[in-house]
Amino acid sequence: MEDSAFSEAFLGFIHTAISSVSAAEVLLLVHRYPERWWTPVEVRAALPADVNITESSIAACLDGLRPHGVLEFDAEKRARYRAASDEHDAHVRTLAQAYNERPVTLIRMIYALRDPRIQSFADAFKIRKT
Amino acid sequence: MYEFLSGAVTLAHFVAALFFLRFWRRTRDRLFLAFALAFVLFALNQALAHILSVYHEPTSFIYALRVLGFVLILFAIVDKNLFASRARKQPAEINRPV
Amino acid sequence: MATFNLILYLLAVLTCLACTVMLARGYMRTGEGLLLWSTLCFVGLSISNVLLFFDVIVFPTQVDLRVWRVGATFVGLVFLLYGFIWESEDN
Repeated sequence: MEDSAFSEAFLGFIHTAISSVSAAEVLLLVHRYPERWWTPVEVRAALPADVNITESSIAACLDGLRPHGVLEFDAEKRARYRAASDEHDAHVRTLAQAYNERPVTLIRMIYALRDPRIQSFADAFKIRKT
Repeated sequence: MYEFLSGAVTLAHFVAALFFLRFWRRTRDRLFLAFALAFVLFALNQALAHILSVYHEPTSFIYALRVLGFVLILFAIVDKNLFASRARKQPAEINRPV
Repeated sequence: MATFNLILYLLAVLTCLACTVMLARGYMRTGEGLLLWSTLCFVGLSISNVLLFFDVIVFPTQVDLRVWRVGATFVGLVFLLYGFIWESEDN
């Protein structure tokens, strides 16, 4: 997988939408079975045991992905993969490819672009948590 | 005692502003820029209040600096909540160390 | 004029309190140390602003609370800078 696959747009997507490697794994799982509706319990059951994430974190992940155009939710708050545009779909496919072929680079990218401590200060001023 | 604390507070506000500036550079979140500017204003407010030996802050124009600082913070909070759904701008310096 | 000053003063206090509440809420939600120190800072700033009210509007001539006001601000900022220096590193 070429470095050029990591475009500015893809990096921007990672920076805004993917808060952790676990979040990437949740999204990729949902992406792998696009017709299926998922609850956090089901996601936890379907993820490999060595993925260290709780159901409530999964629920938070799914909720966090809500404004980023990759999921849709039904009345019972279940989630299903749905890309808002071809560009979103391309980003998720790039994410999947990076996860398989360049996992170290991807992990470094996810964490380098995000400082949860500093960002938590700014996020504290959001009145409604989307 | 007052002089000592006043000087310390002025510097502390300024240093805090520098931290906020650094956070703004790293995250590109406008809120940090607003806090940085606000804290610079608070530093100026403290410094001028002492230098000019103003006691009754609200009756002096120096108080406007403090108020302006809080207005900036208020604007930043409102901005964050009204425009939070807008995707953050593409980070321009991703691969270069900050 | 006095009313205008009162409004300005209230604006400062309410903003300060709002920041305190939001940061406290953020700390309770995330447990991030940085938010604890930031909350404590704004508690100090809020106390300072409330003392300003008593100093200037309630007891303009009877007391001089300058030292207490700047002291509260000082303590608050020490908390903030401590948090910034120790808690703002990358994972």
